[in-house]
Amino acid sequence: MTKCLVLDKKDNVAVSMAPVKAGDQVDFSGGENVVAIDEVPFAHKIAIKSIPRGARVYKYGEVIGEATEDISAGQHVHVHNIRSLRVRR
Amino acid sequence: MSAANLLGYRRQNGDIGIRNYVAVISAMDNSNPVVRRVVNAVQGTVALTPGFGRAMLGDDYEQHKNTLIGLGTNPNVYGAIVVSLEINSALAIAGGIAASGRPAEVVSIEDVGGTVRATEVASRYAMKMALDAGAQAREPMSWSDLVIGLECGGSDGSSGLVSNPATGKVADMVIERGGTAIMSETLEILGGEHLLAVRAKDRATGQKLVEAVNFCVTYASEMGVDVLGSNPTPDNILGGLSTIEEKALGAIKKGGSSTLMEVVGYGRRPSCKGFVVMDAPCPGIENMTAMASAGCHAIVFSTGKGNTSGNPVAPTIKVSGNPYTVVNLADNIDVDLSAVIAGEMSLDGAAKILEARLADVCNGSMTRAEVLGEVEIAISRIGRCL
Repeated sequence: MTKCLVLDKKDNVAVSMAPVKAGDQVDFSGGENVVAIDEVPFAHKIAIKSIPRGARVYKYGEVIGEATEDISAGQHVHVHNIRSLRVRR
Repeated sequence: MSAANLLGYRRQNGDIGIRNYVAVISAMDNSNPVVRRVVNAVQGTVALTPGFGRAMLGDDYEQHKNTLIGLGTNPNVYGAIVVSLEINSALAIAGGIAASGRPAEVVSIEDVGGTVRATEVASRYAMKMALDAGAQAREPMSWSDLVIGLECGGSDGSSGLVSNPATGKVADMVIERGGTAIMSETLEILGGEHLLAVRAKDRATGQKLVEAVNFCVTYASEMGVDVLGSNPTPDNILGGLSTIEEKALGAIKKGGSSTLMEVVGYGRRPSCKGFVVMDAPCPGIENMTAMASAGCHAIVFSTGKGNTSGNPVAPTIKVSGNPYTVVNLADNIDVDLSAVIAGEMSLDGAAKILEARLADVCNGSMTRAEVLGEVEIAISRIGRCL
């Protein structure tokens, strides 16, 4: 069971406190437990609920970007599936 | 915990420093080799060796000159020797330093007879100044005299959880004791500017911050560039930061929770105490050059993936909460807060450790960047030379 921190109740991602392997049970510090779909390196983000394409991604209770594809709970959330809403080409 | 007593070196203009450096400054890039030889020859000196400086124009020239004067009048500087190819560029900088009451000498390479002779003349000035500086005793210094810079570099997903919030708590503590903490790296506020603007002492100050951040958006848009890959940097991305907003929301945690008193321009000294934001570019060496020019005594440098940078006049304390980095970059990390990630230490406990290290460094304990000679500077360019 790898611990991942949810930093704010508005958040739809958690931060891994240790490297997570696909198939690992992940403990969302008080939230529901989820099986990791992807490998999630230390201090990276994992979705704690499904995030549809175009939906906002929240961390620290603030918007950090938008999903560029549908993201399922347990997926690694990073540059391959989210992007900035503020500065981009 | 009662505040540690601080001891510093008093200057004629009322500054009090935590170091007593003799600064050997190149007015322009072509004089850097002489300056490096002088610093190798005379202990107690630091080299300030900028790029550029020759035939700069307008605001670019003013920024170059003012930043070198700012570095030469940092509270930690006892006095300076300014070396240049010709006398006028050296005098322009030395004059600004002498106006603070500090001893300042100039060496013009072409007037004294070339590189070898300039090295000798400057070394003799430096030797005398280092001996004079060494005779000065430390005196009691108040925490309210202290100005710390709040920097982050090589950030990752741990930075916003551990090293930045711990740094923010130390910033609040310094401010609570009457001191000053300067945060900068304007682009790394983007996405969190609303959280800082509501902390501004008045509407105009908050507006100035928001406008500085918006300038970054406009500038990137006009250039037609995506900042991803530049900021977040490749190591930020490897460390789990996906967007500039995410990086910024972690980065601003190093600014603590105090009232935003002022937004100052590049390299400028604040006109007040408390929490201050400086509008300046993000890269570590470049940003810390501006911070030190603004009079920071020391810089708390929060890192996740790791960073080696230091500033030649403002001792730079590296702090990390990443349990891998504190092992991989053990040479470069002063304060290991990785116990927070392991759940074995609170953020308050982490901040107390960092505060104790800051007090030790103020009282003369050398940082790893000082021991390793991490002394690069880079003065931001505004335009180009013609």
